[in-house]
Order: sequence, then C-alpha cells, then structure tokens
Amino acid sequence: MNQYKYDTTAITLHWLVALLIVIAFSVGHYMADLDLSPWKLKVFAWHKWVGVTIFGLVLFRMMWRATHVVPPLPAGMSELMRKISGLGHLGIYLLMLAIPLTGWLHSSAAGVTVVYFNVITLPDLVQKNKELSNLFKEVHELLNWTLLGLVILHVVAALKHQFVDKDNLLNRMRW
Amino acid sequence: MKNYGLGIACVLWGALTISSVGAGGIIPDTSSLIFVGKQMGAPVEGRFKHFDVDITFKPTNLAQSHAKIEVDLASIDLASDESETEIKRKSWFNVAVFPKAVFESTAFHALGGDRYEVAGRLSIKGITRDMTVPLQFRTVAGIRVAEGSVVIRRSDFRIGEGVWADPESVAEEVQVRYKMALKP
Ligand code: HEM
Ligand code: HEM
Repeated sequence: MNQYKYDTTAITLHWLVALLIVIAFSVGHYMADLDLSPWKLKVFAWHKWVGVTIFGLVLFRMMWRATHVVPPLPAGMSELMRKISGLGHLGIYLLMLAIPLTGWLHSSAAGVTVVYFNVITLPDLVQKNKELSNLFKEVHELLNWTLLGLVILHVVAALKHQFVDKDNLLNRMRW
Repeated sequence: MKNYGLGIACVLWGALTISSVGAGGIIPDTSSLIFVGKQMGAPVEGRFKHFDVDITFKPTNLAQSHAKIEVDLASIDLASDESETEIKRKSWFNVAVFPKAVFESTAFHALGGDRYEVAGRLSIKGITRDMTVPLQFRTVAGIRVAEGSVVIRRSDFRIGEGVWADPESVAEEVQVRYKMALKP
C-alpha cells in the first residue's frame, strides 16, 4: 500500500459524500423556491433522506479519521499552509455534521418528524415552534453557503497543488 | 342503553371524582387542540389556537349533558407560514366561506370510571357527519381536564381537494387530540 495515499475506505467515503452533498445542495435550492404542492413535499422528503445519509456517512468517516493516520502532506508545504489545510478540513467536517443537524432541527421545530426512507422514525429534537423552525431554516441555509465557500477554496487548493505546485496531490484521493 | 349507562353512572357515583360541570368555557392556556397528520409517511403536528367550548356535564344525568366545540380554523398553527396560507385556501378548509369547524354532542355514554363516549356531529366545510369521540376526565391540580383523541378521514370533509386528494403525499387519516381544562 502506498503511504502517500488515503486508503480505499477514505477515498470512497470522500467521493461518495462529495457527490451526495452536491445532490443535497442542488435539490435543497431547487425545492426551497417551489410553491407548496405534493411534489414539493416529495422533494423535501428525498432531500431529508439524502441529508440523513450524509450525516451517517460523515459520522462513520470521522470515526475512520480518528482511528487512522492520514498520509503525510507534500514536503514542500509550509507550516502555515499545513495549518490552513488542517483547519479547512476540520471546518468542512464540522459543517458536514452541523448542516444535517440544523436541517433535522428545522424539521422537528416545524412539527414534521423525519422518517428516514419512510422506515426509520428519527426522534424529534425539539418541540414544535414556528419561530425556532424559521431560525433553524436560516442557519441551515447560512451554513450551506459557508460550506460552499469552503468547498470552493478546497477545490481551488487541490487544483493549485496539482497544476501549479505539480505535487500530484489529487493522486492521494484517487482509488 | 341510555338507562343502562345512567345506572352505571349512579352506581359509580360514590367513587367518582367528577361532579357536574356547569355550562361554561375552558381555561385557554392549559387547553389544547392538536392534530397529527402524515405527509410523505412522516408525522406532521399542528394545532388550533382558538376554539370555544361550551360544556354542561352531569355524571348523574347524562341525558342532560351537552357539549359543543367551535374551532376557529384560521387560528391554525402549522409547519410554516406557507403551509398555513395554503391550508386556509379553497382546496383545504376554505376558511373564507367556512371559518369554523363545529362538534356538537347528541348523547353521552358512560364507559366506567371517568371514561365516557360522546356521540355527536362534526361539521367542517359545510359537511356534517356523525362521529363518536372518547372522553376521559382527569383532575390536575384541582382543575378538571377533559381529554381524548379521535381519527378523522380528511376526504370525508373534502379537506385537501384536487392535487391534494392523493393520500400518498398527505395521508387520509388525521388524529385529533383535545385537552380541555374546564373552568371551575
Ligand atoms: C462537496 C465536495 C467536497 C467535500 C465536502 C470534500 C471534503 C474533504 C475533506 C473533509 C477532506 C479531508 C480528508 C481527511 O483528511 O480526513 C478532503 C480531502 C481531499 N479532497 Fe475533498 N472534498 C470535496 C470535493 C473535492 C473535489 C472536487 C476535489 C478535487 C478537485 C477534492 C480533492 C481532495 C483531495 C486531493 C484531498 C486530500 C487532501 C490531503 O491530501 O490532505 N475534494 N476533502
Ligand atoms: C449535508 C446535508 C444537507 C445539505 C447540503 C443541505 C442543503 C440544503 C440547501 C442548500 C437548502 C436550501 C436552503 C434555502 O435556500 O432555503 C436546504 C433546505 C432544506 N433542508 Fe437541507 N441540507 C442537508 C441536510 C438536510 C437534512 C438532514 C434535513 C432534514 C432532516 C434537511 C432539511 C431541509 C429543509 C426542510 C429545507 C427547506 C427549508 C425551507 O425552505 O423550509 N436538510 N438544504
């Protein structure tokens, strides 16, 4: 096994979660502007199911992260850059938990129980309260924009490594 | 049947914690009218903030007992402003034309203890149907509380017509739970 690569579990989780986040984000924006209709209720449910899936995968991913040594960063990176990279990844991890949580809180406060794939009933995190629900909705949206910002930086950084520094960083996240 | 129920009520009289309730209203703050429906298979809770209750209850004379509840449908508290606006529209409650839901009792039946069954008529959106509602009395901190729950089928009252009639997105059954703290 190549010590300069993440293992298959980490790589699979990275790309699976990235794909699901793109889906949840796009669907979230699409559905928020719809007029209330049975279709909107359907899309809301799907969005929640994707979101809860992400939440579960990220919990698993963080456990993986806590129990594994990640490959050392390219030798040419400065101390400051390593710090920024670490903080950036931590920020993304926290948002990947906080976003589904605020979505779940928003739903609970709206009085709508989350039933994962129509099978598993998740507990209501708070009692029905419309003001609180609106607040969580705002926070859910704000955190999403924050994540978008971080992910853009993340991708720009990865591409910079690949094409400017030419340290083949992308290879670390390739199967 | 009525006499039989009355007989039970008399026999139980010694043990009863309830005495008669005069025609009166409720204590709004501790009373609630909550409903739970399902959208896309997930429970959705809402409630009505304003309703009037007029109840005369005599455990020894159920034939003389009477209850009437009028619910101000526009006072609905639902998931979001958007869904509150929608449910007041024509295809749902049509509150502009039918502002109130009314339940009026026709007979009380004793079930033993503090439990009763109230037969009556429920009117929503211009449609009236017979309905039987369970009723239980409890005494909480000296206040008499009447409570129970009943399942209503929304299509019986054409609540949610057109595209909304599909029970897959919004289920047919809606459970209504009431808790009325009666004025002493
Ligand atoms: C929603 C999209 C994405 C999210 C949420 C995300 C999140 C993350 C996180 C949290 C890590 C740190 C992994 C760890 O050390 O535990 C990581 C690493 C990485 N990501 Fe992404 N990522 C996304 C998209 C992308 C894309 C599009 C690229 C490629 C252009 C990419 C390239 C990489 C690379 C190369 C690493 C390894 C960095 C290193 O070696 O430390 N990611 N990503
Ligand atoms: C990482 C996972 C998730 C992402 C990326 C995500 C993303 C989004 C986005 C971008 C929006 C649109 C915000 C707006 O413009 O108003 C949104 C809305 C929403 N999200 Fe999520 N979400 C995620 C997880 C969840 C979860 C787990 C739930 C609930 C269990 C949830 C519930 C909602 C709801 C109910 C809305 C609609 C807000 C409204 O208009 O009332 N989300 N989400």
